Amino acid sequence: MEREESSSKNTNRYPISKKTILFGIVPFIVIGAMLILLLSSPGILFQSPIEPLPQISIEKVEFSDQYIVAFVRNTGPSEITIAQADVNDRIHPAAIEPEQTLSKFSAAKVIIPFIWNSGEPYNIGITTDDGTRFEKTIDSAAQVPRPTIEQASSFALIGTYVGVIPVMMGLVWYPFIRRLSISKYNFFLSLTAGLLVFLGIDALLESNEIAMDNLAPVFNSQILIIIITIVSFLALQYVSQKLVQRASKSKSDIGYNSEITSRSTPNLELKDVDSSSGTSLQQQLLIRPLAISMMISIGIGLHNFGEGLAIGAAVLLGEIALSSFLILGFMLHNTTEGLAIVAPMAKARRIPIRKLIVMGLIAGVPTILGTWIGGFLYSPVATVIFLSIGAGAIFQVVYSIGSWMHHTNGSKGLLSNLSIITGFALGMLLMYLTGLLI
Amino acid sequence: MAHSRFVVIFSVMISVIILGLSLVLYSRASVTEQNSSKIDTVGGHTPGYPILQTTGDVLDPTSLNINPETAVVDPSKYLREFNYGTVTNSSNGTKIREFTLIASDTQTKEVSPGVLYNVWTFNGTIPGPTIRATEGDTIRITLINNGSKFHSIHFHGIHPSEMDGVFEGIAPGGKFTYEFTAEPFGVFPYHCHMQPLEEHITHGLYGALIIDPKKPRASADEMIMIMNGYDTDFDTENNFYTVNGIPYYYMHHPIQIDKNRLIRIYLLNMLEFDPLNNFHLHANMFDFYKTGTKLIPDEYTDIVTMNQAERGILEFSYKYPGKYMFHAHKTEFAEKGWTGLFLVNDETSPVSIQNSNLTAATTNATDQIPYNTSNLSNVTSISPAGGLK
Repeated sequence: MEREESSSKNTNRYPISKKTILFGIVPFIVIGAMLILLLSSPGILFQSPIEPLPQISIEKVEFSDQYIVAFVRNTGPSEITIAQADVNDRIHPAAIEPEQTLSKFSAAKVIIPFIWNSGEPYNIGITTDDGTRFEKTIDSAAQVPRPTIEQASSFALIGTYVGVIPVMMGLVWYPFIRRLSISKYNFFLSLTAGLLVFLGIDALLESNEIAMDNLAPVFNSQILIIIITIVSFLALQYVSQKLVQRASKSKSDIGYNSEITSRSTPNLELKDVDSSSGTSLQQQLLIRPLAISMMISIGIGLHNFGEGLAIGAAVLLGEIALSSFLILGFMLHNTTEGLAIVAPMAKARRIPIRKLIVMGLIAGVPTILGTWIGGFLYSPVATVIFLSIGAGAIFQVVYSIGSWMHHTNGSKGLLSNLSIITGFALGMLLMYLTGLLI
Repeated sequence: MAHSRFVVIFSVMISVIILGLSLVLYSRASVTEQNSSKIDTVGGHTPGYPILQTTGDVLDPTSLNINPETAVVDPSKYLREFNYGTVTNSSNGTKIREFTLIASDTQTKEVSPGVLYNVWTFNGTIPGPTIRATEGDTIRITLINNGSKFHSIHFHGIHPSEMDGVFEGIAPGGKFTYEFTAEPFGVFPYHCHMQPLEEHITHGLYGALIIDPKKPRASADEMIMIMNGYDTDFDTENNFYTVNGIPYYYMHHPIQIDKNRLIRIYLLNMLEFDPLNNFHLHANMFDFYKTGTKLIPDEYTDIVTMNQAERGILEFSYKYPGKYMFHAHKTEFAEKGWTGLFLVNDETSPVSIQNSNLTAATTNATDQIPYNTSNLSNVTSISPAGGLK
């Protein structure tokens, strides 16, 4: 609001003259003219001796009854015609829909009648009119999941096992964490930060891997991942600030738990008060944990959505066979996420169970949605985008925890505190070790 | 307050999910929009495989005909086309056979339906024209280099060093006449011998030279078959394997032959990159004359395996009418184009025999290869099909 007002003042102070308008328009005219010139006669500036190489990417391969379907996209510089398809480098008759000539960035579906064997690897090749063969290897062929009630409930069950139950179990540690001394509490908070940093890095690496394997270089997906992560971080930071501000304005809404505060405040030397919200120290102590926990639930929810997409897609792509061992691994891995949610609230007033459950659901249920979308409508672009959003969300949460701990620890510097450092390191190590089970 | 907070959070999450769904659906939608004006079918060649109906395009080199205007060769024509050159008699009575070959390396032609490749050719086709003479004839071949690189012709067989086409390359725009006596009788490859040899051969600069024995072989329905491949993406592995230049051509254009008629195939392997190639005949056995340099068969078999530049003569006849496959029994090659069919006709067609070659007319279907009805006299010269511009 303030910024808008000041900008309107500025415009009043400096009225836009015709000259200014001219200066504003000239670049558009020049650039536009150049664009038209170059597009209408591409050879006018220079004649390249080398024709740009064609490029297609096989984004997805599906195995259904007696058919293999490859989804191809023209990611090259110009129009391209698909000439033939092969399976394991052996030519097979196929159909291509809508048509074999693909304009730039357009997609087509290559349908190959083929009796394939479940669980075997397949290499699908697409040859363009210049004789270049593009290929994609599927490690283990598996029937594409059909969006039936059975399949949907099976995915829902997987999502519940992998996402909802572990997070809920993590929440059960809430009463235990409440009774910790401040240094142990610091340890658990930094442990949480460690867990989250691991998840964030994991999401970035995984989205990078998917982008490298499935998306054409023309999408510049690595830059895209970083941009989305940063934007997601900033957006969620903004949302969390708003949440804190709003919560602190309605003081009456927040109960005052004197017992907890009196027990914890003697250990704290809080000098600096968040000036933007203008609330007192004690209110800060109460409001922020809840907001941080909520942000953690959202962040983990986004992360689990991405994880669900990856699981659904992996089942679809035949990259994993979902064994009970694998699900166990995910469960152990994700239990720590519940811990991350409750840790910041440990020193706040008692949180109603209802609220805890809501947070658990926000964090866990997206896994189910993710498995559905990933399994039934797999799109590597969407998966990369959601994993990046999740990464940004997680880093925002880490930032919140960090600034919260900075407040509660006062001038002492976070990195000179041994329990914080060991907690952080252990958090990452714990995730790494449970991640080995997957 | 807490209530409104959850509303905010949930709306954020739901909008994120909707965004994702719409993204996914968009990428699907861009695939599913189709024109439903035509319906084609795919598959059904293989027993047990489904027949797919599609509104899109068909990608099927096993059944699609190649456009003869842009194809690198017409295998129907090539199969029984033997070129005897322009014949004159020298003072001592030997026949002089004169041929003209034009080398070219700048054209792009279709080597499989829809696949274009920069072909290097003698007279515009891969394989190059089949040159035929009788033992003792004088062969004169003028090479005109219409390409952008040095080229030559190296013939297998017996000839002087300066006619070997190895140390003397013909410059672009240049011309040279190779002259040697046709000896011994047999089947020989010819190919460009400029460096890099692999590049010049794999791009298509090769063909066959047949030298008949003075006493002609028994009358037969004769064919030339050159096994080759194309590495269209330059990774030193062949993407296509063929006999006579176009993958799967004789699958949709079966070679028509007569029951009990002697068939003679002059078979050469010019395949680059792969060390071996072979020929397997279904439901039959053949006499094999290795290199064609003897009149007594070396083997009675149904498969012959060859290295690059190895060749021989196959003789057989079919006892029963019907469709019979022939293909490389290196199944990879078979499934990348080196497969064809013989269609054995029941009734013997009216045959007029001329110089051990057949002219006949049996056309059951338009897409089947009839006997070459063109005049196969001794004076057919090779016309430069791949043009001088």
